[in-house]
Amino acid sequence: MSGVALLLAAPPLAALLSLWLRAPGTLHAVTLAAMAATVGGAIAVAARLLNGGPFLAYYDLVSVDGLTVFVLLIMTVIGLMFALYSRPYLDHYMALGVITPKRISRYYCLFHLFMFAMTAAVLANSLGLLWVAIEGTTLATTFLINFFKRRESLEAGWKYLILCSVGIALALFGTVLMYSSSVRALGEVSGALNVTELLRIAGQLDPQIVKLAFVFILVGYGTKIGLAPMHTWVPDAYSEAPAPVSAMLAGVLETVAVYAVLRCKTVVDAVAAPGYAGTLFILFGFVSFAIAAFFLLLQRDVKRLFAYSSIEHMGIAAIGFGAGGVGTLGALWHLLGHALAKSLAFFAAGNVRMRFGTREIGRIRGLIHVQPVTALALVVATLALVGLPPFALFVSEVSVLSALSAQVYTGDTFHLGHFLTITIADGVRNLALVALFLVVSLVAFGGLMYRVMGMVWGTPSDEIRQGETWGRGHAVLALSGGLLVIAGVMMPQVIHRVMELAVMTVTPAGR
Amino acid sequence: MPLSLHPDLGSQLINLCSMLLLLTTFAIVAQRRLSACVDLFALQSLFLAVTAAVVAWFTDSPHIYIAALLTIAIKTVTIPMILKKVIERVNVKREIEFVINIPPSLLICGALVILAFSVTEPIAKLGFLLTRDSLAIALAIVLIGFFMMIARKKAVTQIVGFLMMENGLFLGATASAYGMPLIVELGVFFDVLVAALIIGVYTHRLQDTFDSVDTTKLTGLKE
Repeated sequence: MSGVALLLAAPPLAALLSLWLRAPGTLHAVTLAAMAATVGGAIAVAARLLNGGPFLAYYDLVSVDGLTVFVLLIMTVIGLMFALYSRPYLDHYMALGVITPKRISRYYCLFHLFMFAMTAAVLANSLGLLWVAIEGTTLATTFLINFFKRRESLEAGWKYLILCSVGIALALFGTVLMYSSSVRALGEVSGALNVTELLRIAGQLDPQIVKLAFVFILVGYGTKIGLAPMHTWVPDAYSEAPAPVSAMLAGVLETVAVYAVLRCKTVVDAVAAPGYAGTLFILFGFVSFAIAAFFLLLQRDVKRLFAYSSIEHMGIAAIGFGAGGVGTLGALWHLLGHALAKSLAFFAAGNVRMRFGTREIGRIRGLIHVQPVTALALVVATLALVGLPPFALFVSEVSVLSALSAQVYTGDTFHLGHFLTITIADGVRNLALVALFLVVSLVAFGGLMYRVMGMVWGTPSDEIRQGETWGRGHAVLALSGGLLVIAGVMMPQVIHRVMELAVMTVTPAGR
Repeated sequence: MPLSLHPDLGSQLINLCSMLLLLTTFAIVAQRRLSACVDLFALQSLFLAVTAAVVAWFTDSPHIYIAALLTIAIKTVTIPMILKKVIERVNVKREIEFVINIPPSLLICGALVILAFSVTEPIAKLGFLLTRDSLAIALAIVLIGFFMMIARKKAVTQIVGFLMMENGLFLGATASAYGMPLIVELGVFFDVLVAALIIGVYTHRLQDTFDSVDTTKLTGLKE
């Protein structure tokens, strides 16, 4: 069985089984097996890519290149951690009597559908199928977000569904425009929306249409990434969703949404002057980065805090992709580091919530005494998220910054920048952007560190039981934290190679 | 071309259908009764199916007929049926509640149409199809659907706004590219149907939890 088939078959099969099975133990086991199978599938696909280069499969419906494999690896590894962590998490709430075994089966069924939609999105060659799959992720996750059926979670789920569906409808309009320009060149063939085809005939596409299409696509999928000002659903959804689901949303779904935009960006870069898509990326990136950093200072809820940190990091990644050059590698690295660090942070936050019974930062004190292991995980994740060495996010932020300072503006820039480009030299403008980046990073650093350290230190109230025994949940923290450290200190050669291939996909040689 | 009709006729027929679509869009915005809103949406979808069928006839592309049939099955029959059930269940006999009243709403929609025409102008100039103005009308419908989601309070009217956006997109795809590849269109139909079902379930839950489907009451989550 090929890796691709395994990746596409395991999640829907597990979803069907979850509908049918009722015993929680079996459900956990099935999920774990399915996620292990997808990790195997991703490794098989990676091996094929490293040996034979990019390939197409299943009548060109599936296309695999460096970027695909890069996202697949992130997705399946965090999916596996989700499966490992969900067990102690759900057991806890079942013991409290909050949920029934039937809800667990629904939880896993939706999760597997979610995984399937994301896998399909990443593997799809056609921009149309990519859209269908991304909308599928919205539909699969909305009921996961209001899993606990509280008033607030209902509101969060509704907001998420409506905002993302509307946003993504705009992306469909962009896709339609893209298709219309390709149909003119190719005639009506079923492959006219395939990225491989679009890149092949890039010279014949109409730049006007493609540029307009990209604006719609960026705003549309940008909603899903959580770029400001379309980010308002993010803190609500991440805070109301069960902790493992928040980890998946923050670690994986955002990465997949970025992937969707990058796919379109390669086409736009091939058609329009380079720098058009890049400038838009930098604009949205900075707005998200700055808004999120300041909102970090205001947060009183630990999961909302990490949600804003996600918006901030997606902003940084967007800036990196926009700046191009070494920034592209930096941004990819950033996505990887963020996915690992943020899932660790949400797993730890889940543990805290289970013990303290609250997410309110002000009521969580002395975590180091109450849950030493969780506290350590939370500190490691936070240090990684604020971008301290030796973690991956330090290296990536430095790369993004250096790419930003080395930028040269050529060709057409964004309309709003028109006045600036005439009067301000590249150097001055880059310096200003770098300064802004540093100031905002400092604000984010302060906000996140202050809030988290406040929870870790101090004396806990007497009502909270102190000390923790080693359990399944901790194995996940150790695994996740271990991977995070490895990604920063000694990135394996294989992953490096995959990332280089991914960079080549995003910015093909010669451009 | 299967019949020796004047090619201009096709173009004019499609423009006529697109205008009818836009007209129903305005009618929905101007409507006070919820169930009438749903009926008008069904009518709009019917016009959409007719547009698709006309395009299919004049371009001789049979796969668009499938899309047209699916439009009728899903958007004129199934989804309105679901919505009617939802309306009955949550018992919203009361008129639609407005954030923005009808007359200013219509004025704003008029402005949106002008905006849509000006945005798509550079593309329309390149015009190569029988369906030049339809793209602008499609964008106008998308924008009006968007506006409706903002300007109406009830969850059900927001669904109608969302579905109108989808109709606009479908018109855009049919008009600018003679429909998307069939597999993509099937996927989109599936997504829309599931989305409508899910939103229906949400409406029930909203009614049960808040005793209302007024989404302005969703204010628990704030900074």
